[in-house]
Amino acid sequence: MIEGSMAQYSSQTDDDLLIRLRNGDEQAFVALYRRRQGAIYRFALHMSGSASAAEDITQEVFLALLREQCGYDSERGTLSGYLFGIARKLVLRNLERGRADVPLETDADEIAPRELAVIDDPLAGLTRNEAIEALRRSVQALPRRYREVVVLCDLEEMDYAEAAIVLGCPIGTVRSRMHRARALLLEKLNQDRKPRLAVDAWKPMRYAI
Amino acid sequence: MNCQQFWNTLPQRGSEITEEHSGHLAACSACAGQWEPQKALAAGLHSLLEDWRQREAPERVEAGLTAAFRVHSGPQVRRPVRHSWFPPVFAWTSAAAAMVTIALVLMHGWHPASARPDRFAAPHRPAQNMPVVASVADSDSDDESSVLDDGFVRLPNAARLEPNEAYDFVTVAFPGSYMIALGLPLNEDRASDTVLAKVALGADGTARALRLVADGETF
Repeated sequence: MIEGSMAQYSSQTDDDLLIRLRNGDEQAFVALYRRRQGAIYRFALHMSGSASAAEDITQEVFLALLREQCGYDSERGTLSGYLFGIARKLVLRNLERGRADVPLETDADEIAPRELAVIDDPLAGLTRNEAIEALRRSVQALPRRYREVVVLCDLEEMDYAEAAIVLGCPIGTVRSRMHRARALLLEKLNQDRKPRLAVDAWKPMRYAI
Repeated sequence: MNCQQFWNTLPQRGSEITEEHSGHLAACSACAGQWEPQKALAAGLHSLLEDWRQREAPERVEAGLTAAFRVHSGPQVRRPVRHSWFPPVFAWTSAAAAMVTIALVLMHGWHPASARPDRFAAPHRPAQNMPVVASVADSDSDDESSVLDDGFVRLPNAARLEPNEAYDFVTVAFPGSYMIALGLPLNEDRASDTVLAKVALGADGTARALRLVADGETF
């Protein structure tokens, strides 16, 4: 019955649901939560690498909506972008606490991209699950500023313009970070692949011994 | 289109490249060589996206947030509408009601046994040592027994607490101001802080009652 009554909310915009929830409509709040929580949770999970941190962040993001002075302005962007913006701040706070930080943070926006890898398919020879896991680890290992553009634009299919609003930077910066992020990802995947090939090469010798 | 223009104008999704981009790739082996791994990477990222599409926050997050919503909207919904004429009317009505109450007490005598329990706290246990749930809702809970520990406050508009009902507990972070609005004993200096509360969820998954998590308490 609850699901049935929730159906009437599915056609409403995020802003409509926000108005309703501000007027005390619990189902509007639940509908908005169910519509947006997955993306926020995945973003937090990719960024933090911790399920418990992602859970906390998701909860905090939607709690912010309940505050009367939550700061959302529909003139400045979408509600989805606003939620991602809060999630990003919470992720940064989480990373600063050192609970799930990642290495290799560099000031590389100013560094010219290195030559891209020459291997045509860095995931070739891996099963689908192996390839996905290798890629997930590589995304996780990216410096934070590159990781967030990959997660937003590639893994949550956000367009560059909206990502620029969430990240508070010009669209050109998003584009250049994306370019650099992909180069770093390819580099990382190729680095991971070389030892694997070496291990594969040793196997017949080990069996022979 | 030269190489720089090619990379600067490349669409966000590789599948959306224009004929002009394709023409450049056909003519420039250097860009074509760089483009192949990019395409493979984009396909891999798409697989990762698909693989993760069903990942969602655990259900307890929704339960906790729904509880927070009730805490937040409960007092707000009951907040009286303020009109310019409202304060004097309210003052006179309150005064009249108080006089009637005093008159009735004087005529019939005071019966402490029939008094409702304290609104926000459960300072003493009943004779059979059953735990008590205090209520902030205007309810018919005089005879309401409970399986919850002391210190729980029933949420506004929450269903009755049934004695044989199984409860789940989740710990939720709330702004301190919500706790004060509920009448929980919280220092006003902490109104802007986030405080932890333990929320009791009924068998139907709805939030029924909550209490503050004490410092140092594990959960």
